[in-house]
Amino acid sequence: MIDLRTLSRRGFLNMGALGAASMMLPAGVTRPALAAAPLAPVKEEEAVVAFSHVGPISDEGWTWAHHQGVLAVQEAYPKLKKVLEVENVPYSADATRTFRQFVSEGASVVFDTSSKGDFLYEVVKRSPEVAFLECDGHTVEGNLGWYYIAHWYPTYVLGVAAGHLSKSGRLGYVASFPVPSVFCSTNAFLMGARSVNPKATLQTIVINSWFDPQAAAQAGTALIDNGCDFLFGIMDEAAYLQVAEKRGVWAAMWNTDIRRYGPSAYVSSIIIDFRKFYVDQVGKRLAGTWAPGEFILPLGGGVDRDAWGEKVPKEVAAAADAVRDKILGGWSPFAGEIKDASGAVRLAAGQTMSEKDLYDWDWSIEGISGLNA
Amino acid sequence: MGPYRLQRFPSAAPGIALLARLGAIVLALLISALVLALTGAKPGALALQVVTASFGSQFGLEDLGLLVTPLIFTGLSVALALKIGAWNIGAEGQFYAGAFAASAVGLFLPVAEPLSLFLMLLAGLVGGALWILIPTLARAYAEVNELITTLLMNFVAVLGVYYVSTGPWRAKGANSTTARIPAEIPEFFGSLHWGLPAAVLLALLLALALARSRFGYEVRLAGSNPQAALYAGLPARRRLIAVMLAAGALAGLGGMVEVAGTVHRLQGGLSNSYGYLGIMVAVLARGSLVGVVFSAALMAFILNAGIILQTQGLTTSTVLAVTGLILFLTAIGDELAHYRLVRDARA
Repeated sequence: MIDLRTLSRRGFLNMGALGAASMMLPAGVTRPALAAAPLAPVKEEEAVVAFSHVGPISDEGWTWAHHQGVLAVQEAYPKLKKVLEVENVPYSADATRTFRQFVSEGASVVFDTSSKGDFLYEVVKRSPEVAFLECDGHTVEGNLGWYYIAHWYPTYVLGVAAGHLSKSGRLGYVASFPVPSVFCSTNAFLMGARSVNPKATLQTIVINSWFDPQAAAQAGTALIDNGCDFLFGIMDEAAYLQVAEKRGVWAAMWNTDIRRYGPSAYVSSIIIDFRKFYVDQVGKRLAGTWAPGEFILPLGGGVDRDAWGEKVPKEVAAAADAVRDKILGGWSPFAGEIKDASGAVRLAAGQTMSEKDLYDWDWSIEGISGLNA
Repeated sequence: MGPYRLQRFPSAAPGIALLARLGAIVLALLISALVLALTGAKPGALALQVVTASFGSQFGLEDLGLLVTPLIFTGLSVALALKIGAWNIGAEGQFYAGAFAASAVGLFLPVAEPLSLFLMLLAGLVGGALWILIPTLARAYAEVNELITTLLMNFVAVLGVYYVSTGPWRAKGANSTTARIPAEIPEFFGSLHWGLPAAVLLALLLALALARSRFGYEVRLAGSNPQAALYAGLPARRRLIAVMLAAGALAGLGGMVEVAGTVHRLQGGLSNSYGYLGIMVAVLARGSLVGVVFSAALMAFILNAGIILQTQGLTTSTVLAVTGLILFLTAIGDELAHYRLVRDARA
C-alpha cells in the first residue's frame, strides 16, 4: 500500500504515466486497493449505475462536466440495464434518501459527484454489495472510495497569468464555502500571481452556494468596486464572468469552457474531465476487479487549463504555459516558505506539500482576506 | 335561478371533507398521469414503482418515517400557534435555533449519554422558544404582525447556522459541518429512531390537553374570538405569549430530534425546508393537532415519491409540479367541501 503522505509529485506523475501506458490504472491512482473481499462481477445487461449530482445538468459547469462522464459510460457500456442520474441533490437527509433509492433500484456502483459525507456513509455501511465512489470524499471503506482532481496545478498556472494581467495587483475571488477545495484554490491562485507580482493580494467573498448566479454576480460587482481587476472563483455557472465582461476586467473560471458568456474578459478555466475515470471504474466493477481507493486525477489526466482567451496576450500565455510545462515535468510550486494569513510560517523553507496536504489545505496564505473567520 | 343554490357553511361535514380531499388527490394524480403520458413516460409503471419503493421495502419505510418526523414537529408548531390565531411562519428558524442549541450542548458539554440527550432536548426546546420570543412580545405588546417578524427571523437563524458550521465549529477535514455529535437518539427499525413515536405521542398528548383542559379552552376561545375572550375576562395576552413560545419550542424540539436522530452534525442544509413545509402540513390538517400526524404523513409520502421519481429520470421541476398540483387541488377540495346544495327559500 502506498502512503499518500510520502508520495511525491513526481511519484504521482510516474504512476499516471504507468496508468496511461498499461490502460489498466486510471491516471492518478494513489491507493489502489484495500485488503477487502472484491465485489462479484456483474453482467453488463444486469448492471445499474447511479450518479447523484449537486446541481442541474444544464449548469454548463461542475454537474455538466460529470454528466459528460455519464454519457461516456453509456457509450462504453451500451447494454447497461439502467443508468440512474438525479440532479440537485441537497446536502441534507434527502441525499441519504436518494442513495437508498439507488440501492433499492439494484445499483452495482454509485457515484456521489459532490461530497455528501455522512449522508452517503449511512447507506454505504448497510449496502456492502454496492461499490460507492465519493467525489471530494475523505473515507475509504471496503466498498467506498473517493476521487478528486489536482486542480491546484492548473490554478497556479492561471495565477501566473493573473499576475501578469492584473494592473492593480488586487485579485478577487467568488467563493462558495470555506472548505478545503476553496482554501486550496485561493492559495494556489495567489501563489501563482505572487510568483510574478509579489505584492498581489486576493480578496474573497463567500456566497454559501456553488450555484447562485445572482449572489455570484453581486459578489463580482462588489469585488470590482473594491478595485479588483481580475476575478476568479469556484462557481458552477458564468454569472461573474458576465459582470467582468461588462465592467472590462479579466476573469478566469472553473469546470468548463464558458467563454461565450464573456469572450473579451475570459482568460481561461480549470477544465475538468471525469470521462476516462468513470468508464474505468464502471468497467472494473463489471469485471469484478473493482477495489476502493483514493484517486486524485493529475494535471493533464482529468484536469487542466482551458485554451487561452482571445484577448490574452501571447507573451502572458507563453509565460504561464512555461510554468505548466515545469509542473508537468515534476516541479511543485507548493514549497516553503509559506506563511498563513496571520503571518506565521506554516511550511518551512525546503519542505514541499504532498498531494494529500494540498487536498486537505484548510488555512489561507498571507495576502488572502475574507476566508478566515 | 333554479330552486336550488350553493351555500357555504362555516364547517364541512366530516364525510364530505374526506371525500373532497380524496377526490382532489385522485384528480391531481390523474392530471399528472395524463401529462406524463403525453411526454412519453409510463405513468402506470411509475406509480407502481412509487408504491413498491415506499411501502415494499424496509429502506422505503425507514425513509418515510425519517421524513415524517420533523414534519410532525414543525406542523404541530404552526398548528398550535394557529389555535390562538397566530401565524408562525418562523418554524424554519426555530427549527435551526433548536438544532443549534442542542448541537452546542451535544458538542461542548462533557456529560455522558442519557443525560446529554436529555440536556440536548431541553436546549432544543429553549432555543426554539427563544427564537420566537421577540416576535411574540412584539405581537403581544405592540401588535406587530407576527407573520412578518417570524419569517424574517428565519434568515438570521439559517445564516447563523451556516456561519458556525463552516466557521468556528467546523470539524477538520469535514466540508461545512461540525464534528459528529456523540449523543444519538436510539434507533429501533434500521435507521429509524425513537423521534417518530415521540412526535406522534406528543401530537396526541397536545390534542388531548387542549381539548380537555381549562387552559386549552381559553386558548381556543381567545383564538376564535379575541373580543369575547377579553369580555369574559380571560388573560388573553398571557395565553398568546404561552402558546407562541410553546409553538417555537415545538419547532426547536424538531431541530434537536433531526440533529440527534437523523443528521448527527450541525450544518447549513439541515432543515430541508421542514419549517416552511410545516405550514402546509398545518393548513392541510385544518387546525387539528392529531390531523397534523396524517397530513405530515401525506406530505412525507409526496416528498419521498418525488425522490423516487427523480431516480426514474423525471426532472426536479416535474416532481415539484406534481406535488404543487396535489396541494393546490387539495386546498380547493377543502374549500368546496364547505358548500352544500340547499333548496332556495326564495323559490
